[in-house]
Amino acid sequence: MSATITTVTDSAPGLPETQGPGSRTGAVLALARFEARELLLQIPVLVFLLLYVGFTTARLTFQDGMSDYPVLNTVDRNTQTAPLFLAVALLVCSNAAALRSRKHGTVQQFDVMAMEPWRRVLAHVLSTVPLAVLTAVVVAGEFTREALKPGAIGHGSVGELAVGPLVVLMAGITGVLLARLVPMPFAPMLFVVAAYLLMVLATDVSESDEPQVGWLSPMVFSGISGGDPVPSDLLGRPAAWHALYLLGLCAALTCAALLLSGGRTRGVKAATALALAVTAAGAIGQFTRDTAALEAARKTASTTPQKVQSCTEHDGSTYCAFPEWKGVRDDWAAVVERVRSAAGGSATEASVTVRQRIDTSGGIEVDSALNPSATPGVVTVGTRWGGNRVPEFAVGAATVLVAGTEDATTRAMCDARAVTIMWLVLGTDPTPMATFRDVRLDDSTTGSGLVLAPTNGLSLTSHQTAVVGELLARPRAEITALVKKHWSELTSARTSTAEAAKLLGVAVPQGVESCDE
Amino acid sequence: MTTPPTTVTATGLSLRYGGTHALDGVSLRLTRGVTGLLGPNGAGKTTLLRVLATAVPPDRGEFTALGHDPGTSAGRLALRRALGYLPQTPGFHPDFTAFAFVDYVAILKELTDRAARHREVRRVLDAVDLADVRGKRIKRLSGGMRQRVALAAALVGDPGFLVLDEPTVGLDPEQRMRFRGLIAEAGEGRTVLLSTHQTEDVAMLCHRVVVLAQGRVRFEGTPAELTARAAGRVWSSAERDPAALAGWRTGTGTFRNVGDPPEGAHLLEPTLEDGYLLTLDSESRTVTA
Repeated sequence: MSATITTVTDSAPGLPETQGPGSRTGAVLALARFEARELLLQIPVLVFLLLYVGFTTARLTFQDGMSDYPVLNTVDRNTQTAPLFLAVALLVCSNAAALRSRKHGTVQQFDVMAMEPWRRVLAHVLSTVPLAVLTAVVVAGEFTREALKPGAIGHGSVGELAVGPLVVLMAGITGVLLARLVPMPFAPMLFVVAAYLLMVLATDVSESDEPQVGWLSPMVFSGISGGDPVPSDLLGRPAAWHALYLLGLCAALTCAALLLSGGRTRGVKAATALALAVTAAGAIGQFTRDTAALEAARKTASTTPQKVQSCTEHDGSTYCAFPEWKGVRDDWAAVVERVRSAAGGSATEASVTVRQRIDTSGGIEVDSALNPSATPGVVTVGTRWGGNRVPEFAVGAATVLVAGTEDATTRAMCDARAVTIMWLVLGTDPTPMATFRDVRLDDSTTGSGLVLAPTNGLSLTSHQTAVVGELLARPRAEITALVKKHWSELTSARTSTAEAAKLLGVAVPQGVESCDE
Repeated sequence: MTTPPTTVTATGLSLRYGGTHALDGVSLRLTRGVTGLLGPNGAGKTTLLRVLATAVPPDRGEFTALGHDPGTSAGRLALRRALGYLPQTPGFHPDFTAFAFVDYVAILKELTDRAARHREVRRVLDAVDLADVRGKRIKRLSGGMRQRVALAAALVGDPGFLVLDEPTVGLDPEQRMRFRGLIAEAGEGRTVLLSTHQTEDVAMLCHRVVVLAQGRVRFEGTPAELTARAAGRVWSSAERDPAALAGWRTGTGTFRNVGDPPEGAHLLEPTLEDGYLLTLDSESRTVTA
């Protein structure tokens, strides 16, 4: 047996040129591109990406009237939940991609390749970036479309907009990390279930005694509860800190995956330290809010909004709004002017004060009713505008023009005034019957019912409803002239519904009017 | 005739799995061309190949290949860039096309220029005669085609050192012949270490042969030298000769015996297999009719 040792001086022909660090990075990027393409071709990712884009497109296409006046500090948050299914699909598929070698027995071959396992893990992580970018594009498109509407209200937050894409990115990275920690195919699904339960728990916690703890969850659902929006500075959402926290988490999870796969280089260790620092900074930043000042600001906005609002005058009336709603004041003025144009007597010259109000006593953006104002001439308006909120506001304005105060609706108005209020609202409306149906709580134009308003609704008896229906069937100019002519009678609590019908020349409803309906 | 320059040298490579010496002081040297690695099951062939392919480090000993010392991280990286490795049971990503799989391997070999890499992938797929099916998913390919995909993956990047672990196992004769042609071509200008059970492979392909048994090198030389070991030690007889180390009935009905022939025995022309059998310890190799 020969065991002669010789010095090797020869090299094989045709070898690739020795490659430097730049090309090593290039190789990682090339693999990331390859894996990104593979990810995009995975059925779950493709399906949920298409569903996400389709859902967003549909949401932007099929909108109601209120969508013409989007409040941007809710629009930004509304972009966060839709990408969740895409995130789950990405988590499952990035996990499968990272486990591919193990599953198909190519570990043995690939372990002797120039690219070390930790660089392959980095490529897997990077392969999820395009989907996060796609999500960011959809989010940006959705927000931009809303923000460019002439009626757009307020401003959004980059931090809130970043949550959707960052959650998608984090899901992808988590899938890769899970492949290192628990290299089992069922691990992602178990993780998704556990993560969902944790997020529900975090939401519960955030709505109870420790609201700040909830911010440790990647996505904070509380605050998107369907109530009316509030000014941005009252939200108390540390969106920028939270985005930083998520960014740090993404980096920390990436570093964990790299370290677990053998990438214990100085660069990775330094990046880990930085990632942990960023995560900690984000987490701490979320917690260190001046809650007392925030509560005080919310209380001020609820109880003495005039301190933080600016007002403008139109035709003798005053319109006061929170700073972000300044642009809607002209629309309020147009409604008041329209309603007033149908009125008679001194109401045609009446000055009203339109005051925007919110109620944060029960929490932010929770469903709560505003109490009607008892101050003469004051009309309340909420923070939603457009769609049904326009005739609702008109009801409030008409109530003040007819009855003097909003809180008149808290007492039974079983007389001509309710008919007059509804005529002022509907007699100047381009589609009165449709609006009548929409503005009523029961979506009907017959029988007794409650007409919605920004504060207390207006109760209509079946007789009042019948008279309003009759009025809407008659020529508008004729009724308008009669309303103006009999204004003092029609705005008197002593004039019955039947007498109002007679004054306006329409059929008197049969039977006795019940005011308890 | 001048001796070709040595490209791979190994000194005293040892590796234990538990209490078993998978490799026990293996020293060898390889030159350009195809070197066959013969040995019975459990001889340590696969372990030696895995060590030389840098898949596992030896417990003791060292080696250099193509001037690179895999004991250092820089040397290991340089060697891996110059290495093509076809394991005994190569894995595949069944949903990848043949092209995508080889492209994937090319990326792992850090061939970064996309256009050049794709040219290289097409070249190796052409070389293994898979150009027509490169767009087909691997799960749709036959076993022989998959084996050629694995060879293409080993060849991509034009590696200077090719380590092939029993690449012809499971192939039918036609496919095996085709594969031999491919390996012969691959051996031109490269150092190829071919592990095999098939002495025909070695006889047809290899300019050198190493016989390994029980983790030790039992022979290192040319196939002719291994064959020459059996000169005068192969004979025929009507019955199996009990003194023979090995013997088997041939197609003509007579027995071919290997060992120390009796006086007056009818000597036969030795083959590589005869030399191989004689090289192995008689305890580790018993061949009977």
